[in-house]
Amino acid sequence: MSTPYSKHLGPRSLRGLTKAGDILIPGDETLPSFSQTPCLAEMDRMADWMTPQDRGGFKFLTGLFSYMPSALIRGLLSVADRADSLPAVIAPPFRLINVGVKGVVYTLYYSDLTASRSLRRELNWSTRCGPLPSTPVSEQEARIKEASQRARAGAAVLRKLPVRERLRFLAPLKEVIFRNQDRILGAIQLETGKSRSDAYMSEIFAVIDHLEFLSRNAETYLGDRSMPSGLALMGKKSRVWFEPLGTVLCISPWNYPFYQAIVPITSALVCGNSVLYKPSELTPMQGLIESLLREARIPEDWVQIIYGDGATGSKLIDERPDKIFFIGSSRTGKKILEQAARHLIPVELELGGKDPAVIFADANLDRAAAGVLWGAVTNTGQSCTSVERVYIQEGAFDAFRDKMVEQANLVVQAIDKDGSADIGHMTSDAQVAIVAEHLADALAGGAKLLTGRQWERKSRKIPPLVLIDVTHEMRIMREETFGPVIPLMPFKTEEDAIRLANDSEYGLSASVWSKDIKRAERVARGIVTGNVSINNVMLTEGNHALPFGGAKSSGFGRYKGEFGFYAFSNMKAVIIDADSKKIEANWYPYTGPKFRLFEAMTRGLFGRGLGSLLGFAKNGLALESLSQKPRGKA
Amino acid sequence: MGNSDSRTPKQGDFDIIIAGGGISGSWMAEELTRAGRRCLLLEAGKHYPEDAYPSEEIDANSELYWSGGIEFNTAADIGMLRPKVVGGGSIVNQALVDRFDDIALDSWRNRSKVDFLSTSAMSEWYDRVEARINIQKIPAEFRNGNAKIFEEGFKKNGYQCAPLRRAQKDCKYAEGNDCIECLAGCRVQSKQSTPWTTLKRALDTGLLTLLPEFEVQAIRETSGEVQVRGKSSSGMIREFRAKKLVLASGAIGNTKLLLESGYGAGLPHLGHGFYTHPQYMNLAEYDFEVNSHKGPFQAFKSDDPGFREKGFKLENVFAPPVAIAMLLPGIGRRHMDLMRRITRYACIEVAVRDTHAGRIRIAGGRAVIEKSLNAEDIKRKNAGLEAVARIFKSTGALKIIPGNVGIGLHLMGGCAIGNDTGTSVVGPDFRIHGTKNIYAADSSIFPDAPGINPSLTIMALSLRGAQEVLNP
Repeated sequence: MSTPYSKHLGPRSLRGLTKAGDILIPGDETLPSFSQTPCLAEMDRMADWMTPQDRGGFKFLTGLFSYMPSALIRGLLSVADRADSLPAVIAPPFRLINVGVKGVVYTLYYSDLTASRSLRRELNWSTRCGPLPSTPVSEQEARIKEASQRARAGAAVLRKLPVRERLRFLAPLKEVIFRNQDRILGAIQLETGKSRSDAYMSEIFAVIDHLEFLSRNAETYLGDRSMPSGLALMGKKSRVWFEPLGTVLCISPWNYPFYQAIVPITSALVCGNSVLYKPSELTPMQGLIESLLREARIPEDWVQIIYGDGATGSKLIDERPDKIFFIGSSRTGKKILEQAARHLIPVELELGGKDPAVIFADANLDRAAAGVLWGAVTNTGQSCTSVERVYIQEGAFDAFRDKMVEQANLVVQAIDKDGSADIGHMTSDAQVAIVAEHLADALAGGAKLLTGRQWERKSRKIPPLVLIDVTHEMRIMREETFGPVIPLMPFKTEEDAIRLANDSEYGLSASVWSKDIKRAERVARGIVTGNVSINNVMLTEGNHALPFGGAKSSGFGRYKGEFGFYAFSNMKAVIIDADSKKIEANWYPYTGPKFRLFEAMTRGLFGRGLGSLLGFAKNGLALESLSQKPRGKA
Repeated sequence: MGNSDSRTPKQGDFDIIIAGGGISGSWMAEELTRAGRRCLLLEAGKHYPEDAYPSEEIDANSELYWSGGIEFNTAADIGMLRPKVVGGGSIVNQALVDRFDDIALDSWRNRSKVDFLSTSAMSEWYDRVEARINIQKIPAEFRNGNAKIFEEGFKKNGYQCAPLRRAQKDCKYAEGNDCIECLAGCRVQSKQSTPWTTLKRALDTGLLTLLPEFEVQAIRETSGEVQVRGKSSSGMIREFRAKKLVLASGAIGNTKLLLESGYGAGLPHLGHGFYTHPQYMNLAEYDFEVNSHKGPFQAFKSDDPGFREKGFKLENVFAPPVAIAMLLPGIGRRHMDLMRRITRYACIEVAVRDTHAGRIRIAGGRAVIEKSLNAEDIKRKNAGLEAVARIFKSTGALKIIPGNVGIGLHLMGGCAIGNDTGTSVVGPDFRIHGTKNIYAADSSIFPDAPGINPSLTIMALSLRGAQEVLNP
């Protein structure tokens, strides 16, 4: 792949320039070094205008630098910096080296480029030029407009970087997260109320795992691909190129505020997009993500965080990002889709779920109960993929119920600092109210609450709530509860289980438990859902190589895994043909004889056997030859 | 903007060709079209719409100047900024307009023996120019920290300073404009750059065809007409003819063109007498935020008879980050630490009224500029630096960082005006000696360095020169 950074400077010169740049600008605690910014991508904004002699000299000099050890370059630049103290005879070339190298390095770094907006802040430098806008806008509106502009500028820079370079900029983030994990965990727990172990496993560990997957696979999946051209297009090259979309707007909810920030942001970024991120107003974690990105030296314009509510999200959509990635409730998802439809912005929606667990009698019930318990109450039930309906085959129902009650009562609930709690508290009072409503509705319909009777329906400390005698008419079996509820319902046959599992408007994930893998697979295939774990629960999303997304009202689109790369890319189909004299068969003129040949060739192309192949070859060649003749001669 | 760039000019359409669309070329164009002449203005640089001037230093430096930025003298200790854009210097300058005084014009008159180079004779032309442009001084309440330090330092040392006169209409300071970006083209149509003043009026007559991105390469005069050959932006070579030709591409441009077209043989003084008012910017660090980049970044000049006699002047001035980075010494962390204090720097530049003539030659198709400071010029520079040091010290500067590279913004001479063909290139009638129909009235005709900003005088000379061009 050719060097993307400059039409004029080859990889050697760019390498030498990078070395010199890092000597001149080594970076410090808050400012990046020369190579820690993407400013080299702007090289041609200068090189295009240099005289051929100056450019040649510069290429030669920087080419030399690529061979020289850094200490020698430093010595040379130091001498050049003090050229005036050299004898007049030899000063001029050193002065030219001084101005030439510094001129390029300082212009690239200190010019008002995307990487250096933070620079301008560090230097306390700001200038304004131009008439004021005629209508006064609110600060938030101004912030949204400015951020969108900067996102577009950032996208323009990212477009020039190959995947490898984008990964280079992302690479420090992993270490930064490790270094700051206590601070991150503290922020997560403070705003969500979850247990420390929940926070660690689902947000720190999972995020690092995702970053690993990105760094190991991005180049593979985003690289240019050769595709077959087939017989009809033989000799032409067919390719798929994966290119950035531009700016991606990510809107995330409050249940996994760190994971659902970093994963969409870095996925979009690695595909070459700039990101505008709006966290939930319930868990803004103000300043946290920015500080991590800054520590990782990721250029500011590449990822911008805008705080606000739905109205802010709506204004961000009106700025017409190139794609919207939304994780949240189905209700909000519909509103976003409506608004995006007006601008024809593609949208990926990761919405709610009412996920079933199907347990067959032949499954190991202790294990299934442990798994289903975790699936139902992890993160205090506030997962889109949490188990919210449990179907147990009749013969095993009582035993499973008893195990579930026993294990549920052992769950330790606290907002701990040392990992000793299983689950924490609920995050929002609004959601607490919904849990209370669903519970009341179920009990009114005849359901029985077997655990958690101590919950007084108001506090956020909702314990696991095991219910039996539930029906599909109850809200708790139809609407997303998003709390630690475990409603149990028996079923008879495999077909029943599938029918019951599918009796929902949602289809995000499901789990099937059985010793008989073949049966488990049958059921898994029968359920209309985006993710299935067999003899496990909520595990597909733990494998970052697998795609994630829902069916039905749980949304559409997939992110993560190989397919996540496609979600944030513009897949460009390319055919490369040679510039020859040949006139294609499908070009004019169209004549009777040509038509008949085309017919004959088509039969040959799509027929079977050697005869067809020969027919295709014979007629195809005749057609090609005829196509070179102009009308009247064909 | 008139019928300019879209029309493809044809041969034989024009009375007068103007080579160079800077200040002189623009004013010439207005005068000549007013008098009914059909003119073709050829400019090597681009023609920008008002709001599209490059706003980032990387583009401004690359796109608005010849050679993508700076051109150096042979010793590489003076960097010259030669604008390459429609509007020329009026796009990238600070629009400081001052009439020449007796000291400047007397020296010219003595050297050139051209009578009208006097304050009395030139006064009428200055009047005419000033009638057509807006001139303002920066009001006291908008003078920034840098200007205040300048003024205070002058007072404390008994030096005389005066507010700058700028060719500007309405910089909207009250709305919080900080126009250090003015150096890359004014985007609020305040600076009186020619594309929205004199050049616009010329285009509005319908008699001017403006061809930007066209580089004139050779000129020729035959009986009754002039021929101009050059290269368009697409690389095509084109030739134009007219009755008369005005050279307005500046000291280096005019000299190079005449030399490459073979006029050097008959003009022994061609390329000689090159002056640049070498400027040295000096920074000083203070223990408070000076914010020299805010608001109008130039407000005062020195107006001191002592300085004038000693041959230098001082201006408070600043520059955008890249330029400041180039001024600061050192590399690596040391340099970064200095850059971090950018908002604590005040800046005063010393402009030397240079006496040591330089020379412009051509070699290998490029202009080679021999220019250095002789003992007298160095003395003048040091006198200026000494005054600057006093001003900074007396106002509490913690540290002074002298500028090491001389900057040449006023490119003057090479085609000096005069009566004697041995020591001048252009006659009192603004015609190139030995030619019938080739004229010049821009800074290339300056006989020596005046020590005062040249743009107003270029305008005045161009107006006067236009009258000569209009003579049959």
